[in-house]
Amino acid sequence: MMIHVQIQTAVSALSRNTRTGCSEAHVTMSSAIPGPTFEQLALPLLPSLYSHACWLCRNHAEAEDLVQETISKSLRAFDSFQPETNFKAWIFRILRNAFLTSKTGIAASRTVFLEDHADLLETSDSGPTPEEQILRLDNQAVVNEALDQLQPPLREVLLLCDVEEMKYKDIALVLDIPVGTVMSRISRARRALLQLLQTHFRESL
Amino acid sequence: MTPAVQDNHLQPEELNAFIDGEPLTPGGRDIRQHLEACHRCAWRAVTATQLKAATARAGQRFSPSPEVLARLTASLRTPQNQEPQQSTPHAVIRRASFRPAAAWWALAAAVLLVVSLASLVEVRQARQSNAVVAELLDQHLAAIAGSAAPQVISSDRHTVKPWFQGRLPFSFNLPEPNTLPPDTILRGADLVYLEDHPAALLLFNIHKHQVSVFVTQSAGGFTVAPRATRSGFAVRSATAAELRLTAVSDVNPTELEALLRSLAAVQ
Repeated sequence: MMIHVQIQTAVSALSRNTRTGCSEAHVTMSSAIPGPTFEQLALPLLPSLYSHACWLCRNHAEAEDLVQETISKSLRAFDSFQPETNFKAWIFRILRNAFLTSKTGIAASRTVFLEDHADLLETSDSGPTPEEQILRLDNQAVVNEALDQLQPPLREVLLLCDVEEMKYKDIALVLDIPVGTVMSRISRARRALLQLLQTHFRESL
Repeated sequence: MTPAVQDNHLQPEELNAFIDGEPLTPGGRDIRQHLEACHRCAWRAVTATQLKAATARAGQRFSPSPEVLARLTASLRTPQNQEPQQSTPHAVIRRASFRPAAAWWALAAAVLLVVSLASLVEVRQARQSNAVVAELLDQHLAAIAGSAAPQVISSDRHTVKPWFQGRLPFSFNLPEPNTLPPDTILRGADLVYLEDHPAALLLFNIHKHQVSVFVTQSAGGFTVAPRATRSGFAVRSATAAELRLTAVSDVNPTELEALLRSLAAVQ
């Protein structure tokens, strides 16, 4: 049962990391006292917004313009922000909507993406055995490459979950989809990523 | 494993929600209890946890340069200069006015900008340092979980050290067994990658505690605080002869430091 102890430790460590990240990112305002200003809320998120914009645009100059546009739009709409909600999810949604209406975003949206039909696309246990799934994930370059190859909608949900450490309900807000769809999309994304990695490792043998 | 457990493995959504720290659905089963009873799902949880950590590292690829950060911060600070829709982002900087009457305001704004940038750089550095510690811990957990056996299983330093020839762009020394701290034994070694740099992973036992020592080049590699603690694991780092030695374990930190000292002494 040694492995079970280690799993709990690993998951616990990951959860702590997630909570640490949340303290920086998930800023909410209390309605009882004067809330933080837009600048106070947005300033710590600039690196995250830029990083996510880079992933969306795949171009640094466009990403910077996108973040600038996001700041401008969110500043104008700040009065509509509800203090008890998550500011990070709110501004990421504005970023994403700004991207979707950009030239690059419109071009990207022309790519057909099979939406999340769990009954069609998920097979619960037809994949490789757990032992086969244990991969040598220490080769970060390979993981980077696999993430690049992932379909943009799948990559986006993974970035929000694993990099931005958002909760499912916040991801649902950003992507404007139900929480159930977030869950199935994350599941598909991880499976697809794992398959890409397995393909690479089999080919490298 | 009981047949009931065997036939009722966790669904992918259940497993993902568990590793993502999402609350269980009302009426849902106890995931931890299932993992304790189901070996297969336990392995899946280990893989999924490692994949999540690897994705997080890969996703942090893009970070703004100081110049970009300065421009973005400036756009936060000068909202009145932003004309909706028409303004181009970089124009915000170019429009700065330097009339004498506004000089003091400009100076104050510049000071604020520098302070903000410094704090942002600190946040970014802290985030990167945290990411390195998380990666070290992740590698240590993977090593002690036995998900992949080390490529060298030996307590003989004359077996372990030569194995790295041609695999690492640097070399290092291992101490004689009798110069190691009491009850400390070399168990084996592996080649791993930290922040895309190759590293020698040396596996030790101190009493019954497992220890991972990562040997990397100190120049051009990652940086980590000399002393850190995460999730109950102590992380200790030292440099010796252009090498960085970083140890991770749940053993008493004093004993961990003693091991590092004995390794550093022979470099």
